[in-house]
Amino acid sequence: MCGIIGILSKDPSLPLATITYECLTRLEYRGYDSVGVAALGEKGIEVRKAKGSVEEFAKKYNVFNMRGEVFLGHTRWATHGQPTDYNAHPHLDCSGSIAVIHNGTIRNFVELKEELISLGHKFKSETDTEVIPHLVEEFKKRGMDTFTAFKTAISSLKGTYAVLAVVKGEKRIYFAKNFNPLVIGLGEKAIFISSDIPSFLPYTKTIVAVQNGDVGYVSENQIYIENNGVAVDVRERVHQVDWDASSASKEGYEHFMLKEIYESPEAVMDTIYGMDSDRTVEEVVKRLEESKRVIVVAAGTSYHAGLYFSMLLQRYGYTSISVVASEFYNVKTNPDDTVIAISQSGETLDVILAIRRFKEYGSLVVSLTNVIESAVARESDFKLYTRAGPEIGVAATKTFTSQLGALVYLWAKLVGEKVNLEKVGEVIRGSLNLSGEARKVGEELSKKENAYYLGRGLGVPLAMEGALKIKEIAYIHAEAYPAGESKHGPIALVSKGFPVVFVNTGELFEELQSNVQEMKARGAVTFGISVNRKLNTDREILLNVEDERLNPFAVAPIIQLIAYYASVSRGLNPDRPRNLAKTVTVE
Amino acid sequence: MKAVVLAAGKGEGLFPFTQKEQKESITVLGKSVISYVLEGIKKAGIREAVVVVNENGKQVQESVNVDLSLEFVEQKRPGITGAVKDGMEKVGEDFLLAFGDVIADPEFYVSLMNIYAMGARAVFSLVPVYEGLQTYGLAKIVGDRLEVVKEGSTLALAGAYILPYGDFDDLLEYFSRISPMAKYFIWSGNWIDIGFPEDLINAVEMLLKSAKTIVSNNATVSKTALIGKGVIIEDGAVVEDYAVIKGPAYIGRDAYVGSYSLVRDYSSIEEKAVVGAYCEVAHSLIEPYAEIGSKSYVTYSVIGKGARLGASVITSNYPAVIVRGKVNKLGALISSGENISHGSVLPPNFKK
Repeated sequence: MCGIIGILSKDPSLPLATITYECLTRLEYRGYDSVGVAALGEKGIEVRKAKGSVEEFAKKYNVFNMRGEVFLGHTRWATHGQPTDYNAHPHLDCSGSIAVIHNGTIRNFVELKEELISLGHKFKSETDTEVIPHLVEEFKKRGMDTFTAFKTAISSLKGTYAVLAVVKGEKRIYFAKNFNPLVIGLGEKAIFISSDIPSFLPYTKTIVAVQNGDVGYVSENQIYIENNGVAVDVRERVHQVDWDASSASKEGYEHFMLKEIYESPEAVMDTIYGMDSDRTVEEVVKRLEESKRVIVVAAGTSYHAGLYFSMLLQRYGYTSISVVASEFYNVKTNPDDTVIAISQSGETLDVILAIRRFKEYGSLVVSLTNVIESAVARESDFKLYTRAGPEIGVAATKTFTSQLGALVYLWAKLVGEKVNLEKVGEVIRGSLNLSGEARKVGEELSKKENAYYLGRGLGVPLAMEGALKIKEIAYIHAEAYPAGESKHGPIALVSKGFPVVFVNTGELFEELQSNVQEMKARGAVTFGISVNRKLNTDREILLNVEDERLNPFAVAPIIQLIAYYASVSRGLNPDRPRNLAKTVTVE
Repeated sequence: MKAVVLAAGKGEGLFPFTQKEQKESITVLGKSVISYVLEGIKKAGIREAVVVVNENGKQVQESVNVDLSLEFVEQKRPGITGAVKDGMEKVGEDFLLAFGDVIADPEFYVSLMNIYAMGARAVFSLVPVYEGLQTYGLAKIVGDRLEVVKEGSTLALAGAYILPYGDFDDLLEYFSRISPMAKYFIWSGNWIDIGFPEDLINAVEMLLKSAKTIVSNNATVSKTALIGKGVIIEDGAVVEDYAVIKGPAYIGRDAYVGSYSLVRDYSSIEEKAVVGAYCEVAHSLIEPYAEIGSKSYVTYSVIGKGARLGASVITSNYPAVIVRGKVNKLGALISSGENISHGSVLPPNFKK
């Protein structure tokens, strides 16, 4: 995800740089690792761009003194190429007279880039986006007018995009959309074209909807759009935003958390494809094979994903220990150990401190983060990534499921299991289709102050994550145990009406069933999240999964939805749980 | 954009109640059901709507008090598909289709517009359900689109959509056809589809759940009456000596609650309804002009407009057969204008 904004001024007195800055701050939720602005004036195009936040960037590069009649602004979430100054958008062609910003992924950029290089084009970044200005330049060189060149460039792209381009000497913004969001705002003094409506809402409430397959341009007195070569009647696309569009970035959902849970299928599949095309994975597998022990270090939700991975390895004879990051000092690693450090943000201080210590001991460190070139990644020997995109809800959801995706992928490669991970998306969707059931369990739990989450085997880390989620956002005191352990203490608390949630991944089924009976005998209200076979709890969600190795992908969305609905029915805001921050950068 | 609002259903789940009163004109907390829909679409920026009605159209029309330009059209072609086509013909372009029997937050309709404005060709709303699944139209997420299904999903089509003007013989088939170019969202705010008596009872609860106590200065509340939390008392209402409005509860305009009566737990006494002395009312919807005789016990019940319960009428509510209920309690469903004689003890699920 990235945020893009283009502004074309109709009034020379308009402080365009300041307006661009304001729009960018409102788009920053879509990506916050680097920023860039292009100003198109009489003399040509000036680009300023850098790694960092919008505020830091604007101050450091004094964006406010940029002058021009057309501005492009971009806030980036890196997917191809690290967040660096040179990878930040806008990107230019060889001559510096075409500037492009882009949100999306160009799947065939490698081939396009090779071809362009063979034609003599010089590239300055590692991004997929940079092929676009060079393509336009190339087609213009061959005698096409700019719009034809732009259209031809767009038609050679495979992938998803919302693209904006400006060309020296033309007071226009060219645009194209395929899946990534784009919308035009018609102001009295300026025309906007952006990733979302709220970014320009203070300036205009008249919008023009842009649809998939649209390509066109805006100029001072014209909006031109065509789709499939046919000109669109723009008047049909004009709407007055007569409603409160301030929450439009949630795309219809009441909370980012729910939206993000529903984004899980794509997030996990992108992660798996990312692992598939990442050569680092092979290298990591080789190192893991040679390691004496695999030490997994992480905090919170990431720790549960790590624990799941650790257990998978142990079952195949590997010695693997999972360590809570803040407790790293309890573990002495050795040079023949490999450390897997997991952190969504890649900025978790406890994880960074653990890495530093383990590196001192001479161990190899492999990181798994959701942010390219994050602090954790930078301090590691090998960098692996989940590709879940930015997560705004404080509680980790799609990023947890993506971590599981990356780790199951790694495990399968390491132990030589043939797992059809192509199916993961459908497994997750299968659970999302059962969200009514999860809502019911969530509503029931919302009336309770305490709960147990019990599981066996690989169900244990998932139970732990379920308990954490409901603590975090619904403020229900929940504890997770291996179900067999419940007799050794926890059961003392169980009395009439005490809720117990069983995570039943099918392992040790009979034993788990007798745990259910024990709890029922003491008056507990029992809930089940069961894969393929019912435990006969009082209320049970049955998930059908063909390949049991994909079980966690079915269970993860359900435990998240249960917590979400428990929170919502308590009247809480799950996006902003009290006392919690998305990224923990303190000890 | 214009809206097409459907208010021509038979309302079979609420029979015999809806044989006298069109479902969309039932009053809940001082507003007809369809008014909630119209207020929602108004908040979504819509200024004109076509309301498709049946022979009871007048009831619907009279129940609306929303500042929108409305055209009432009597349904000619059969079924939901026919109703949508009758309405769609009047608008002739992309339109917002809303079912008139849904009570939801206005933001539910705003969400549709927010997605449409970003270039979606069609927008579907979904809501997770867990009881009476067979009574909803369900949809399943498969790949990047929705499939309309009979089972295998708990996501109900939530009764508000943005659709392109088109030609179709069956609405659900049309949904399937346009789903590749549609976007969808899952709504998790307030939402109830009014199909069964328990939906009305749940709607009162849903709407009163977040209510704060507001007593109108123009209401007459005895000094000896007790008013609890989450109680709304409208203009002209009278609450007599020693009555306890424990709440959460709604006492409508010019409604009357007699001495020593207890009104508690998500009850609504609508405009000009009368609750005699020494009554207990809980989890019930008492429609405008209805009268509850003294010493009556009314729980989990819906009493229609102008219906009269004699003195000492008892509604039993357990064990009941519920289609969509959260609890297996359901008392009486008394249609508009019906009378129940003094001293009656009504069994659970009683309907008249």
